[in-house]
Amino acid sequence: MGNVYDTDRKQRLPFATIFIREIKQGVACDSTGSYSIPSLCAGTYTIDCSSVGFTRSTVHLRIAKDLTQNFYLDPDVTTIGEVVVREKKVDERTLISQSHAELAGENLAQVRGTTLGESLKGMAGVYALQSGPSIFKPVIHGLHSNRVLIFNNGVRQEGQQWGSEHAPEIDPFIATKLTVVKGASSVQYGSDAIGGVILVEPAPLPDQSSVHGEFNLMGGSNNRMGVTSGILQGALNKKLSGLRWRVQGTYRRAGNARTPHYFIENTGFSEGNFSATLGYVRKNYGAETYYSEFNTKLGIFSGTHAESITDITAAIERARPLTPSYFSYRIARPYQQVMHQLFKTNAYYIFNNNSRVDVIFARQQNVRSEYDYVPLTGNLNPELYLRLITHTVDAIYKHKAFKKYGGCVGVSGITQGNVRRYQLLIPNFRNYGAGIFYIGRWTGDRLTLEAGVRYDYRWLRAYTVDNNSAQIITPTWNFQNVTETIGSSYTFTDHFSWSVNIGTAWRAPTVNELLSSGVHQSAVSFEIGNPNLHSERAYNIATSLHYQTSRFHGELGLYSNTINGYIFLKPDLQYIHTVRGAYPTFTYTQVDARFRGMDVTASYQLHDSLSVSAKASMLYAWNKTIHDYLQLIPSNRYEATVRYGFGDRVFFRQLYCSAGILYVEKQTRVPANSDYTVPPQAYMLVNFNTGFSVPVGKQQLIISFTANNLVNTAYRDYMDRFRYFTDEPGRNFMLRARVTF
Amino acid sequence: MTFLSKLLKTNFPPVFSKSSPRVSYHGSRTCLYCFLLSAVILSSCNHDERNVAPTVLNEGLTTAQLQLVNDMDASDTPWAQWEQLLDNTGKPLPVDVSQATLALKANASYTARIFLLDKTQMPVYNVSEEVKDRANYHLFFYQPLPTSQPLAIPNNYPADKNDLYPAPIPTPIPAGDPLALTVSITDHDNSLQQYPVGLETKFITGSKGTGWLRVVLRHQPSLKDGSFAPGDTDMDVGFNVVIQ
Repeated sequence: MGNVYDTDRKQRLPFATIFIREIKQGVACDSTGSYSIPSLCAGTYTIDCSSVGFTRSTVHLRIAKDLTQNFYLDPDVTTIGEVVVREKKVDERTLISQSHAELAGENLAQVRGTTLGESLKGMAGVYALQSGPSIFKPVIHGLHSNRVLIFNNGVRQEGQQWGSEHAPEIDPFIATKLTVVKGASSVQYGSDAIGGVILVEPAPLPDQSSVHGEFNLMGGSNNRMGVTSGILQGALNKKLSGLRWRVQGTYRRAGNARTPHYFIENTGFSEGNFSATLGYVRKNYGAETYYSEFNTKLGIFSGTHAESITDITAAIERARPLTPSYFSYRIARPYQQVMHQLFKTNAYYIFNNNSRVDVIFARQQNVRSEYDYVPLTGNLNPELYLRLITHTVDAIYKHKAFKKYGGCVGVSGITQGNVRRYQLLIPNFRNYGAGIFYIGRWTGDRLTLEAGVRYDYRWLRAYTVDNNSAQIITPTWNFQNVTETIGSSYTFTDHFSWSVNIGTAWRAPTVNELLSSGVHQSAVSFEIGNPNLHSERAYNIATSLHYQTSRFHGELGLYSNTINGYIFLKPDLQYIHTVRGAYPTFTYTQVDARFRGMDVTASYQLHDSLSVSAKASMLYAWNKTIHDYLQLIPSNRYEATVRYGFGDRVFFRQLYCSAGILYVEKQTRVPANSDYTVPPQAYMLVNFNTGFSVPVGKQQLIISFTANNLVNTAYRDYMDRFRYFTDEPGRNFMLRARVTF
Repeated sequence: MTFLSKLLKTNFPPVFSKSSPRVSYHGSRTCLYCFLLSAVILSSCNHDERNVAPTVLNEGLTTAQLQLVNDMDASDTPWAQWEQLLDNTGKPLPVDVSQATLALKANASYTARIFLLDKTQMPVYNVSEEVKDRANYHLFFYQPLPTSQPLAIPNNYPADKNDLYPAPIPTPIPAGDPLALTVSITDHDNSLQQYPVGLETKFITGSKGTGWLRVVLRHQPSLKDGSFAPGDTDMDVGFNVVIQ
């Protein structure tokens, strides 16, 4: 008997396999990572311990009497592709029929040091909406901003996420796993989950009493970025046993990014984040307190400052921006300064009949200041200041299972207060929201059926000034919706399974869609809100097929998401004249839209060291009301990778190399008369990766080297809002070092 | 670490000592109390949003005034004003062109100055002083219309999107005789190349006629090279011109 541990995360590893070569028999560990082999004859045995994503550990043992043998497994640096958890036993998700993908282990390590949006954009069906080289917003199946929910450590992230240039205020280093739930999922996660949900999940707090952690250091050549991040954690023992803690911090700094031909002026950033967790765990209850702070100062490319259509048409005509090309870490106007604080406390209690209650309370404060060019009046205030304070409370009760049937009931509440200063882009507001849901699941041998229903209510009051009377007015809205979901998954054989999910989601119009009225600087548009908007409702049907053998892994996902009352900015084909020139006006309008697409991933192990993998993301979006395409929808993209693992060579352990190409089509499905120019051309990028680990004392030092855009291709991307003004960054070498102790 | 454990020990002995069932019950209750207490403290929300801060525009520029003096007759001082005020939410009101007509004498020479004002501030802010202080970043362009000369201010919009001349200039410009007006810039910035600025100008008129004058201020930080292209537009206004 004994236990199996993950050396990386310093915790027990569930469901590993123990195999005794001599008698050709094996056992599986249970969910706590422990195993026992009763009644084994005395003798000498060779025992293998293995688990997916970890290197095999082998011991030779002389067994005479009962003994305890623990195994410590290292994560496998050569694991390829996205790890998709399909084992029924370990699937702790509330809805398992929903399409999802995870980024964890060494796949996550390969994108360490980048922002959340940039980390996720390699996954099938996930894209990024960019504003220059440093601002990335995740896009799931063509939807983004306030149609994608992000859960940061179990708490719904609430910043000014409606803005297309407002990146999520999250440090990806807090997470050991990033999960993307694709498709409408309001029943479990609440309003706004129209495109999908992103879960940023830290590892559980450690249960070993020693102090240990992880240290990361990385550098990038293109914008001379430096990143350092560390985690320190431990558990107390003796009288304080049950008390666990973790502190974590990250600092990132970069200067101007460089395209193949010039530097992009004022695109540096500096970011400093930290978090601290204190947890207390007992056999059947526990509590945790968490605080995190995210601080960033992001330069905005000064060449994107266009004050009129003349400026933007002239910028499009130019081969390269007129801004001077040089390297600097200095961040001048225009820039954004954002601070996000999150305080969370949660507790759980497990009853004797295995039912469980979880309660989470969180308070978030998001302070965003946006500084434009130094104005004519010499005023040094920001142009825009927004402070949003959000309180959320969630409680979930997972009831006692009745034979094959289990389920949970949940309630959630939210209140937000927003305060603005300087410009009036969005007004002050207060909102209250409440929801209640129930999800049930019947699990058979091969078939799983699940269904859920939810009711939500939302109240919103804006505080603003009437444009004529100068009196404070308080327009108020109420929204309520019932959402439902139903799904099933069926396992045909050990290799082949199929799942289908029908989900619904809703979203209340946000205050900018209801009331905004003004020039959107970086979009060179005059945006007009519509106070009569009603809720958006999404009906999503998604199905996925999984096929897995020892050498082949394939997954095919198909989806169709119909959104009734899809809110978008419709060009009015009119101009408003201001002192700076004429701006085209856009009004928030509702139409019925449809997003259909396909995500494919496949990998094949040609022999022990050589493997190939491929990914494709295809998306077709359609405006059903006016029978036209929708704007700013990502084009189809395809990726192919070849990997070679060298195994252990001299003192390099688990040495591997991989090379990949990414091909992004030109977006040809765009509506007429809605853009200043045609979408950029298709492009192809070559990427290269290598990594290995070296033992340093008792620890493993993991080194990896990445070359993005290896052949220095000059290209522009349709999903970058700065595509009118500048090329994307050119070649970038990144070196990463990680040591766990 | 030792400090922390000491602190915890002294403050909460019943919670974290022994793990007998009774103590663990207390532990769970204390846990719950701590949780509820922190929830209550942190959720006591204020209502700051009810105090609406005034709209302050950093880049306000509401008014452009042309003030001319006839070089031969100091009592002939034509004056014109283009103005666009904002409503209480900062949204631009319709342009006021009631005083935007410049009446000049034929075959005359005028010394002209342009004044830019921000009337959203109290007292009214003189933006042209700021432009003068940062002359190296700014350049005015004066475009008499109609003209037979190449345009000083490019107007390269596609045919279907040309509703873009500032009021009161009509779009498109009706066919007619070119306006007999020449505007030349007389002031210079203090850069090495002494590029023109355009706060001070000379207006030279020819034969009688009517037309328009478009005035654009370009903001060209670290980019000024005497041409129109770099930077962006700070101001784009128009005037009626009558030469009699």
